Amino acid sequence: MVFRLKSLVRFIHSRISVTTRKVSTTCGEQGKVIPPISARFTVEQALSQWAERFQVAEVPEPQLSSQYIISHVLGHKTLNHLERRGLTQVLSHAHVERIWRLCNKRLTRMPVQYVIEEWDFRDITLKMKPPVFIPRPETEELVSLVLADLEVLAASRDMDTVRFLEVGCGSGAISLSLLHSLKQIRGVALDQSAQAVALTRENAQSLGLLDRLKVSQVDVFKDADWLVETCSPVEVLVSNPPYLFTEDLDSLEPEVRRFEDRAALDGGKQGHCVIDQILALAPRLLTEKGRVYLEVDPRHPDIIQTRLKERVLGLEYVKTHYDFTNSPPCQELPFGDYTHRPGSAPG
Amino acid sequence: MILRWTRFWKSCVCNHDIAVKVTGVLGKLLVCRSQNRSFQPSRNYHKITVDLLKNEAVQMYIRRVRDEYEVVTCTLQNANLSDSDRRQFHQKRVELLPVVNAFTCAEDAAKNLQEVESFLQSTTAGSTQDEQMVELLREEQAELTGKLEDLHKELIQTLVPLDEHDNSNVILEVASGRTTGGDICQQFTREIFDMYEGFASYKDWDFDVLNYTPADYGGLHHAAVRVSGEAVYRWLKFEGGTHRVQRIPEVGLSSRMQRIHTGTMAVIVLPQPSEVDIQIDPKDLRIDTFRSKGPGGQSVNTTDSAVRIVHLPTGTVAECQQGRSQLQNKDKAMRVLKARLYQSIMGKQTEERDTARKQQVGTRAQAERIRSYNFSQDRVTDHRIGYMTRDIKEFMRGGEQLEELISALLEHSDQEALLELVQSSHLLRRETDPGSDH
Repeated sequence: MVFRLKSLVRFIHSRISVTTRKVSTTCGEQGKVIPPISARFTVEQALSQWAERFQVAEVPEPQLSSQYIISHVLGHKTLNHLERRGLTQVLSHAHVERIWRLCNKRLTRMPVQYVIEEWDFRDITLKMKPPVFIPRPETEELVSLVLADLEVLAASRDMDTVRFLEVGCGSGAISLSLLHSLKQIRGVALDQSAQAVALTRENAQSLGLLDRLKVSQVDVFKDADWLVETCSPVEVLVSNPPYLFTEDLDSLEPEVRRFEDRAALDGGKQGHCVIDQILALAPRLLTEKGRVYLEVDPRHPDIIQTRLKERVLGLEYVKTHYDFTNSPPCQELPFGDYTHRPGSAPG
Repeated sequence: MILRWTRFWKSCVCNHDIAVKVTGVLGKLLVCRSQNRSFQPSRNYHKITVDLLKNEAVQMYIRRVRDEYEVVTCTLQNANLSDSDRRQFHQKRVELLPVVNAFTCAEDAAKNLQEVESFLQSTTAGSTQDEQMVELLREEQAELTGKLEDLHKELIQTLVPLDEHDNSNVILEVASGRTTGGDICQQFTREIFDMYEGFASYKDWDFDVLNYTPADYGGLHHAAVRVSGEAVYRWLKFEGGTHRVQRIPEVGLSSRMQRIHTGTMAVIVLPQPSEVDIQIDPKDLRIDTFRSKGPGGQSVNTTDSAVRIVHLPTGTVAECQQGRSQLQNKDKAMRVLKARLYQSIMGKQTEERDTARKQQVGTRAQAERIRSYNFSQDRVTDHRIGYMTRDIKEFMRGGEQLEELISALLEHSDQEALLELVQSSHLLRRETDPGSDH
């Protein structure tokens, strides 16, 4: 009986302390959340608190956001490395400070990738900096596609001479993963944004790939002739061009709408403004058997195919690949894949 | 008989880097060697329960193989043989050859070693010690012991059927039990997980976490890891099964009442197929990701990189959410899926084999409640071989102690497999040739 009484008291006691902690941190419902000075947090508590806080503020993916930010502060990519021992560890004052600072950024709907200033693309880690476009998972597959073709090519010829051109490189995801996977090829990455060019260069530098990549600030509309003169010929022309319809831009989530470079998303009225320009330049840029790889909107492949038939662009349509989710047609994300038709390139 | 030998020979050829411990006269020599060189703890050899190569049945078996070999050789020398007979006998001779060779070599080496040792003894016992000579002899002795050990390994390998997956990498899963007091199971599951992580680092294996679902209070519901390295499946195959824990919880009422709780968790060990082993038609797969629920591409920004793959014909599911890159998660999930599919295919095969031949080592791999961890008595007991060890904390670090236990299990299984083989061949003989055993 004595035992039981004691435990009951302890039980009540511990419950009380939990509730008080909750109260102290959920105050300040709107705006910035400041960490309570006296409270000590374990990793677990910080995780659940911020997940809850994000949930209340209707921030998308509240759990994941909280996990990614806190793992990042603790020096990990995900919680996996930590979970086994670290969940119950008490956070240092500096860590709490940093977690709260970063999570407050997320509360403003800033994408997690910008908050922690890095993200993984295939097997490389890239620095992310607003407003440079954050690479999407679909683009990882576009790279797989290019790599598969280049590996076939590698069987028949010397890879040292193979060159590729990327239009609209953003953070450099496509170019850098190509260079990372194939150790001999070289490439040129272009973007019209100075920030993107700088970031691609920075990422190339930190991955040790800058010696095989030329990065330039080029506008494919204004500097077309210069582009053809300096870059051609290349075996591969790859791009994840802006392909969203202008009218759709305002209905996007705040993460995309408010933080990412509009120029990297806006593909004009029907979304294929930049695509058209790339396809028009392609024959002048590619070698005889060169190929163009594009990530486009699900509505685009048909338009592009008819256009290729109508106007002799000197290109031959090869195939449309859909991403691996095999979702219903309207949500599929096709990658255009166009081969240069040999011998019919216009002057 | 022919079939069996073909199979053994084949399995032996592809496994050369596996250590098998030997007992008896040979065992003593090995102990001697390991003490000399002190790179392996000698106590590993004391635990051997059955004097394997000295065992009468085994000796008889080897003798019989030799006799048969001689008979076959003699018959082959006989000119009056039809072509088909000759081919048949020749085939048989080829099958018997490895065992005979290994045995003869081992015998020769043992004889040489004995000579060197007796010579060494007489030299050191003598009043005039020729130090140069002694050193030379010692060198010779060490060299011969090493050679002998290799030869014995070879001999055992030609005798014992080896598991074809021994060199495979492994997908290891831990799952907490659902018995009363879930906390204790989940806590225990995490400790077991840590133990294998420790064991992997002790063995210098790669430990690649595919999935990790934590529970409250630092426990673990389920986790899957890919362990790769040298002979991983051989070392982990006997870990599969139910592990039981008995302990007084660290917190809560039972802790103050000093009440012992019992919980369980399961370990699943699947040999991982190499890419070529299993082919999956992409049409049979349904791959779920965040974006399969809605629009994707440039219009959304997601950090949800979890991937779940369903193999539609079998309903097998694998998922991964460990990395930030979706493609990498997909690759990992695919690996798990392949391992699971492979296991179900292999399970069927093993079943078939099992009914036909009882001596398959693989069938004993995944047993029910295999081991108990009694924290209140600081003791680990493996129920399959009645092995008991103290110092649970050290054991669960996944170092030497765990290795010793697994070594004992492996030896036990090798011995049993060999004895069963010997016995079944004995019975077979009696059935087919009732006159020969009088």
